[in-house]
Amino acid sequence: MTLVGIAWRNIRQRALSSGLTALSLALGVALVVATLVTGGIVQKAFESGSGLGYNMIVGAKGSPLQLVLNSVYFISRPIENISWSTYQSFLPAAERADGMDGAFAASTKTAVPICMGDYFRSFRVVGTNAAMFDRLTCGDGKAFKFASGVNFRDADFFGGVLGVTVAAKTGLKVGDPFAPTHGADDGKVHDPFRVIGILARTDTPIDRGVFVNMEGFYLQEGHAKPVSPQLDSPSAGVEREQVAQSPVHQARGQDAQPDPQHSQSAAHGQQPLPFAQREVTAILLETASLPGLPAELTAMGLRTTINEGRDAQAALPIGEIRQLLDLFVRPMELFLLLVTTLVVVVSAMGILVSMVGSSLERSRDVAIMRALGARRSHVLTTVLIEAVLLAAGGGLAGWVLGHLLVGAVGPWITSNAGVSASVFSMSPGPEALLVPFLVLLAIGAAILPAIAAYRTDVAKWLQ
Amino acid sequence: MQPVIELSHVRKSFAMPGGETLSVLDIESFALSQGEHCALEGQSGSGKSTLLNVISGIMRADAGRVVIDSIDLSELDEARRDRVRADKLGLVFQQFNLLPGFTALENVLVAMTFGSGRPDRQRAMQLLAAVGLHDRLHHKPTALSVGQQQRVAVARALANRPRAILADEPTASIDASHQQQVIDLLRNTCSQQGVALLVVTHAPEVAVQFPRRVRLEEFNRAAVIVGGEGRFQ
Repeated sequence: MTLVGIAWRNIRQRALSSGLTALSLALGVALVVATLVTGGIVQKAFESGSGLGYNMIVGAKGSPLQLVLNSVYFISRPIENISWSTYQSFLPAAERADGMDGAFAASTKTAVPICMGDYFRSFRVVGTNAAMFDRLTCGDGKAFKFASGVNFRDADFFGGVLGVTVAAKTGLKVGDPFAPTHGADDGKVHDPFRVIGILARTDTPIDRGVFVNMEGFYLQEGHAKPVSPQLDSPSAGVEREQVAQSPVHQARGQDAQPDPQHSQSAAHGQQPLPFAQREVTAILLETASLPGLPAELTAMGLRTTINEGRDAQAALPIGEIRQLLDLFVRPMELFLLLVTTLVVVVSAMGILVSMVGSSLERSRDVAIMRALGARRSHVLTTVLIEAVLLAAGGGLAGWVLGHLLVGAVGPWITSNAGVSASVFSMSPGPEALLVPFLVLLAIGAAILPAIAAYRTDVAKWLQ
Repeated sequence: MQPVIELSHVRKSFAMPGGETLSVLDIESFALSQGEHCALEGQSGSGKSTLLNVISGIMRADAGRVVIDSIDLSELDEARRDRVRADKLGLVFQQFNLLPGFTALENVLVAMTFGSGRPDRQRAMQLLAAVGLHDRLHHKPTALSVGQQQRVAVARALANRPRAILADEPTASIDASHQQQVIDLLRNTCSQQGVALLVVTHAPEVAVQFPRRVRLEEFNRAAVIVGGEGRFQ
């Protein structure tokens, strides 16, 4: 029999008090693990939105954080819309009707417009173009993948793509129609779009988005910007024709196929909305490098220029998210961690209480062992091993319990935060330190009982 | 024959609360040879337990020499005395003092843990079988009768192949019908193993069964050992 075996026997001998001590440790550790993992998930949820292949967002003047929260995470409300001409200023000549490069075209690699304001069963509807999934990425430079179907085509005005969470929650499949509502869930029901593709899981807010062709989005009631009466005159028809013949529409129309199932624009017999009646909520920008300038400086210069103008603001998602994390999320996480760590410390004190409570019984056992030849170091070590076993056992049980807890609420987190959370979600660094920290605490708590055991008067207890 | 236990000029006293010193032991000399069985008689409070504590190294004598199997305990620090106790001596207590959370087998294995050898499960089982407990190996003390507990205590005392067994009033807590069984068990087992046996008792009917009897008597307030032929010198 080893000292570990003796310590384990001692624990079993005092099964009730040992069990309660280990349970209180386990509950404390479970709280800490759940806090750490949930904190990691929250952080991941925010950081996931900063790796979508764009590094700048242009939107209406106002709070840059609100612009980022709305454009990237689909939370909060849009500030306002910006003009179509602002969007066009980022486009190269090949994508513009006037055949001239936009003012910011040289600094822009990709510009993806998004239009917001509609909902489908509580999920945000985002009007955009095919570049959203063709040219942007779903984090770490990985291209978007489709679980089923394909990306919509620009010529298919009423095509849409669903995030994986939306598809799971609504039960929509490729080919199914869906009709967004205007402004809110109980708003006016728009014309239906058709599901062309369902994205594979990205663990980003994209999973919670409903993406529709913005050409179809513009044609919904209430989405055209009110303009001067002459646009409703016969000249408006001329502009619609110009829009249809603009390079970008022609270029995007080339890959359009007359597929009656997918292409509903033809069936509707509708023309695109004139440019003058268009607005966008935000533009997702991937900036380019100007000749001789590093990419960062180009981005900073572009941002400064836009922000100095009157029409729009430019926000850097990473910077805004970092600020949000630093200001609110991390302090809150730190506070929760502090509270739960205190719970663990108090639980570790339970070891001291348990051991002091059983000191009479222990003294007799120690005296017997000493009479059998155990050295003082043996009994001291045995008591410390007992504490370590209780702490390690309680700690590991708590670790498992914490993960089961996260696993239990995982589906809710996944559907609401768009980040996968399961029993296997980890916060590796702090978690790895948790049980060793607990063991050290336990050793600290067991020092007094161990010294008492060390000093046991054998002759007195064996009389 | 080579003595297993040798005491010479051993003195032990305790400090009293008032600063007074209480002299408890004053042993001129005493020796127990290998395989020898001896009864040490004395009244309650005569210093019998103190003497056993000094012989086993639990207490250090104030003066004199305590030699166990040629090892002088008076020259050793506490840890080394503990080691000598674990390796050379087996202790049997009045209250049996089995560890309550451990089975019979584990009680024997625990004693082996503190000896120089490695815990030998097979030998522990053999020892328990030798005292008639082959079918009680995994019973905890509370599930054993008084007699069975005492047998476990004897098996435990023999765990590390000791040179001598010190038994402190081993029959004091058991009824008359079991007393003889315990004495027979101790004597027979020690004889089989060639182990010296020193049994402390205040019961003459127990002491009379031993080939050698010595008594602890108060002399000038301290206990001295007196043999059949007079005071041990």
